[in-house]
Amino acid sequence: MQREMTSELIKEILGKYPGTKDNLIKALHELQETNPLNYISPEIMEKCAAHFRLTKAQVYGVVTYYSMFSIKPRGKYHISLCKSPVCSMMGSENIFRYLEDKYGLLPDHVSDDGLFSLEKSECLGRCGKAPSMMINKDVYTGLTTDKIDEILLNLKSKPGK
Amino acid sequence: MKNITIEIDGKKITTEEGTNLLQVARDNGIDIPGLCYHKKLTPTGACRLCVVKVENMPGLVMSCTVQVKDGMKVTAFDEETEQNRRHTLSYLLSEHNEAYNASYEDELRPLIRRYKLEKPADRPVKPIWQNIPRIIDDSSPVLTYDSSKCIKCFRCIKACEEVQGKGVLSFADRGISKYIVAGFGEWKNSECDGCGECIQLCPTGAIVEKPFRGKFKIDTVEKKVITTCPYCGVGCQTEVFVKDEKIVRIDGVEGVLPNDGRLCVKGRFGYQYANHKKRLTHPLIKKNGKFVKSSWNEALDLIASKFNEIKLKYGSESLAAYSSAKCSNEENYLLQKFVRLAFGNNNIDYCTRLCHASTVTAMLKQFGDGAGSNSIQDFETTDCLFVIGNNIIETHPITATYVKRGKAEGQKIIVVDPRWTPLVKYADIWLQPKLATDVALLNGLVNIIIENDWVDKDFIANRVENGLQAFDELKAITNKYTPSYTEKITGISQKKLYEAAKMYATAHTAMIATGMGMSQQTVGTNNVFSLINMCLVTGQIGKERCGVNPPRGQNNVQGATDVGASPVNYPGYIPVTNDENRRKIAKLWNVPYENLDPKPGLTTIEIMNAAYDGKIKALYCMGENPVITDPNQNHTIAALEKLYFLVVQDIFETETSFYADVILPAASLFEKDGSVVNSDRRVLRLRKVIDAPGEAKTDWKIIIEVANRMGTDIGNYENAEEIWNEVREAAPILGGVTYQRIEHEGIQWPCPTEDHPGTSTLFLEKFNTPSGKAKIIPVDYQPQSEIATEEFPIIMNSGRMLYHYHSSTLSRKSDILNAYADKSYVIMNPNDAERLGIKDGDEVLVCSPRGNLKTRAMVRDEVLTGEAFMPWHFHESPVNALTRSEMDPQSKIAPFKYSAVRIEKA
Amino acid sequence: MILNDPKIALARAGKINPASIEEFINTGGFESVKKALKMNRGDLLDYAEKSGLKGRGGAGFPTGMKQRFTSSSCQTCENRYVVCNADEGEPGTYKDRFIMESDPFLLIEGMILAAYSINANYAYVYLRGEYYQSIDNIKNAIKLSYENGFLGQNILNSGYNLDMDIYLGGGSYLCGEELTLLESLEGKRGYPRIKPPFPAEKGLWEFPTLVNNVETFSHLPFIVNNGFETYSQTGTAESKGTKIFCVSGNVQKPGIYEFPFGITLRELIFDIAGGMKSDFSFKGALLGGAAGTFVNETLLDTPLAYETLKKEGATLGSGAVIVIDDKTDLKKMLSSILSFFKHESCGKCVPCRIGTTILYDKISSTDFTADDLKFMLAEAEYMAKNSLCPLGQSPVLPVKSFLKWFVL
Repeated sequence: MQREMTSELIKEILGKYPGTKDNLIKALHELQETNPLNYISPEIMEKCAAHFRLTKAQVYGVVTYYSMFSIKPRGKYHISLCKSPVCSMMGSENIFRYLEDKYGLLPDHVSDDGLFSLEKSECLGRCGKAPSMMINKDVYTGLTTDKIDEILLNLKSKPGK
Repeated sequence: MKNITIEIDGKKITTEEGTNLLQVARDNGIDIPGLCYHKKLTPTGACRLCVVKVENMPGLVMSCTVQVKDGMKVTAFDEETEQNRRHTLSYLLSEHNEAYNASYEDELRPLIRRYKLEKPADRPVKPIWQNIPRIIDDSSPVLTYDSSKCIKCFRCIKACEEVQGKGVLSFADRGISKYIVAGFGEWKNSECDGCGECIQLCPTGAIVEKPFRGKFKIDTVEKKVITTCPYCGVGCQTEVFVKDEKIVRIDGVEGVLPNDGRLCVKGRFGYQYANHKKRLTHPLIKKNGKFVKSSWNEALDLIASKFNEIKLKYGSESLAAYSSAKCSNEENYLLQKFVRLAFGNNNIDYCTRLCHASTVTAMLKQFGDGAGSNSIQDFETTDCLFVIGNNIIETHPITATYVKRGKAEGQKIIVVDPRWTPLVKYADIWLQPKLATDVALLNGLVNIIIENDWVDKDFIANRVENGLQAFDELKAITNKYTPSYTEKITGISQKKLYEAAKMYATAHTAMIATGMGMSQQTVGTNNVFSLINMCLVTGQIGKERCGVNPPRGQNNVQGATDVGASPVNYPGYIPVTNDENRRKIAKLWNVPYENLDPKPGLTTIEIMNAAYDGKIKALYCMGENPVITDPNQNHTIAALEKLYFLVVQDIFETETSFYADVILPAASLFEKDGSVVNSDRRVLRLRKVIDAPGEAKTDWKIIIEVANRMGTDIGNYENAEEIWNEVREAAPILGGVTYQRIEHEGIQWPCPTEDHPGTSTLFLEKFNTPSGKAKIIPVDYQPQSEIATEEFPIIMNSGRMLYHYHSSTLSRKSDILNAYADKSYVIMNPNDAERLGIKDGDEVLVCSPRGNLKTRAMVRDEVLTGEAFMPWHFHESPVNALTRSEMDPQSKIAPFKYSAVRIEKA
Repeated sequence: MILNDPKIALARAGKINPASIEEFINTGGFESVKKALKMNRGDLLDYAEKSGLKGRGGAGFPTGMKQRFTSSSCQTCENRYVVCNADEGEPGTYKDRFIMESDPFLLIEGMILAAYSINANYAYVYLRGEYYQSIDNIKNAIKLSYENGFLGQNILNSGYNLDMDIYLGGGSYLCGEELTLLESLEGKRGYPRIKPPFPAEKGLWEFPTLVNNVETFSHLPFIVNNGFETYSQTGTAESKGTKIFCVSGNVQKPGIYEFPFGITLRELIFDIAGGMKSDFSFKGALLGGAAGTFVNETLLDTPLAYETLKKEGATLGSGAVIVIDDKTDLKKMLSSILSFFKHESCGKCVPCRIGTTILYDKISSTDFTADDLKFMLAEAEYMAKNSLCPLGQSPVLPVKSFLKWFVL
């Protein structure tokens, strides 16, 4: 299982951003991407509040507004599978069903091994090759159930982050 | 602003260009609904109920978001707008849990009736609120939030951010499931300090207060009385709700100064003491070492005979009285009259001597007036605020709201404090000098100002006594306070000194707020001299939004001195030593002028010292608690024990009343009529809200009874107003302030005549000194007589906190205030803690050459290495066991802020 | 007939290495900047205005007019900003991503022109957080533009200074709305601001701000290089220049196509995109994405342009062309759109917060009927009239056109 990122690392990342609040969202992106648990922890929010001279709720409000940020730990590989009009027309619902049936992956849950979590995402801008998804920063398009098997198998056998 | 005419539904309305259309409509009796709009807040446009049509604007527009222009034609009510309103309202209702416990004003319910939506069958959309996750946060000591009652109008968020400047609240999530959040979802772990502004502005009971929740219905409240808050010197106007002779709620009064509806946690929730079961209800006489109930007759007779007996036996000079900053103007006036006539001396003083005596001494010398020069709103509008030794957010929370609002508009803030205070979060510059190095610091700033030619020579030439010659004398002293020399003494970097000096001196307008950190030192008066020197060389006074302000700690500390509770002055700052003055006062009081003692009386600490020395034999103590508030507690107790006769007149038994011979039960500020004066010289009304408990009486009535029984006529008065009218005759600065004129809103003195509007800024034309000019008084830095030694290596600072008030006789009777803070602590630097093997939360023993106490360590880098800080509200860890009674020679104030101590693990 | 027409935003797409400033410059990149910096600002504003260019983000507001407003408002303001709206999130739309991935310097070039024309010294790209490749490309392009003297102090010795930086979205469709975008750029929750004031008067940090879409900026270099006359010769009477269409669905060649306005849906789907896949037949299309309109075969020969579509009650929006076939579950598609609006509503104003929920609840109810659709239309029309920002005003577009073309 993955561990929370260290306080030192949080401080180091925040140190790169000027303390004006327009940098908050940029910093949150980097913090979440760097966090092995792929989420914005209370400690991260606490330190952001101090760094950007905001109150806790102001940070919490921003984090919970934007759908890319999670206040709950997520899988090492976070899957955002598109459910928007084009992808759903092109079969993304089958893929959701397949992920649940074969891999036990349900939206907003983390797999028992901590490797995967799933999110129903809005349009990812890959409509020409629908259905599509992202896993962390990588894009996968033209999805079929076979392709899903291949991708997940590949990730499972990859050494840890 | 230009006057313009607009038309709403055919009605012609004249108003100012650019004002808010919804507000204009409402002000003119056109009742456009709207729930997210509140006149204290910026418009939000969220609830969409205030739709109107405006000629030449497409579609429906929200009137709360429109600024009126000349000739604007508005349709507020027609079928279309009303239909859309009704639909919007039914949307709101579908999302809303309508359960109503009737303990708050619900702004939604009248609209439901108005739009005939009471019956679910009449509503075009079905309820959805049961399907939305319901969030209830009950963790705060003062309030509960329920998302199912929330219409997401932003009023609480804006109340917190725009009105109070705190920004503690936000929405979490988005869309239909969004809800209000403090902290990360738990109110009690947020920055919320319990002021309750959000409760006051919540329209639908989503945020309700905890005390008395569900215990009364709002329409069964018997009365709502407007009076002045009993706590600090801001003088907030409160509306007090009463049911069954009990205070059940307090709201701020909107639309009037000084607070425009804002309150702090003490003002809104600290009222429990008034109805507390420990209130004194009968006179108590100490018999055989025990207090026993007595009748008023017995107690008053005893007091009168003892006072007379002691006066006869030991002479008039053996008697003294402590007046009170927590009593009304009228009561303070009567007590000083009583002392001067019945005791026949001027031995009357009170706790002002322990707080701003040095400030007032300096300001009187340099400006001719000891009161703050500005109005509370100026704290928002001045360009630069220099806050020195004043923890303004905690000690004057509502003044601080103006500061924070100013900051949001770009105000520059300089904080000078040896310890971190919450204002540092808002500050552009924080100077953290070593304790008691203020004169060096300020002289150093003056040095930089002179070196860089940020001096206002015109001002000095025209408005300072001896003009440029005085300036040269100052320069001769400050010359040696070069940045490097100043850095050596204060520990502040030269760069920061330069930045602060520049920011203050070159600001278009700049104001100073000074506090106990400056005044409560053996060099307190010198501190303020050097501060005012800086103000004078830069000319940052004598103009609007410029000046020097000592915000007052207690509700009537300003008024008590204004009306003559002073050993040196009659009402209105008229010296007792002047024959002419004595004649005038004697005439007013209808006594032979020889009866008035021309010798100044003893000051607060001098009275206690004289008691210790056996010179004062009897003390009449009205609403003061010197055992906690005076320095060097062991010495104070010994002095009280030496007294032949001590009368304590208070609303509770106190640490001081323990030593009394007679305790008289007095009425609290909620139980009396009268007036007070706040920090910006505003005379404000007190109104009786509830009856005093048992046989407790209003202080002024008790004073008259004592005087009568002593055989001294101090006048007979039917009510407080009659006393006030005599005050107006005695004190010209208050002459024009009648009760009638301050019925709705206070007036700032000086106000000599009834047609005078009052004075918002002092010294615009001239200073109040005999010459009409201000004085530069150069002073040198003096090292402290008490220094850190091997035995007592740490310097202890002391002060207040938001949640408690002075000796905390009142505030610790509140469960709510106790829920926020009920333990003493000492803040110490991590370096010291580590060296001493002390960890955060450890029990520690703190010792000084005078005494010792136990408390809990709080290890923070908020204080410098070698320094420590303690709040003094907690009688179980009395900071004044550590302090010394050595005095500032000029003002007789004690150095509460500087004691050498040793801290060790208990 | 139009296959050989000049491309504007996609002229270099696929032909150069998007990471190489040399290749960009060698293919005429930054020529317009060199030219513009020698022109006076008023002439440059004229260029944009006379070209007839309209905003490509969906609303179609005349770009030149917006530029002029921003340049002339608040003369006492010490700052003025240019912001690129690169928060592409309209379902079915991916043209901005394509530009940024294939020709990022073109966007920088266009932004420099706009910034210079209004005398702004700061320009920001607000980029969708999920577009990682675009983020990398734009960051690289900004860096190389600084290194080569096209950004920073004294650009090409003209005395003009422009700093550029990138900000990231966090996953909120609404932040593609210009005033909401500015709130988000300032680091706050994405709530729409009250209009007026428009960004041209009070935008970022209360200063005049020009906000344009990626595609819009990408047209400016062509206009400056070739003149507004050349530009305005392409397109239709009221829709000048080219437009990128994002074709998706069960067609042979879904993808990105740039053509002058006026091309018909039939040409786009059957000529350009190769027609329907075997086993599928054409039923209609959703134009402009979720905040767009359904059309059926009746409109196949209507020229795709602002004015022609408007006449039919349709919209082109962002340029999404989602082709619907005979096997498409139409109710599911509408449901997916309404679910999208519910998810993306910020919740600030009552009609949108509650209306998007009511609409989605209704279409999700099991016994869905044509009468329910009429109820939905009434609610959507109420929302359109009473909502604070374009999001709440949008559901009426798909709901109404759905009824018009597929039900009634």
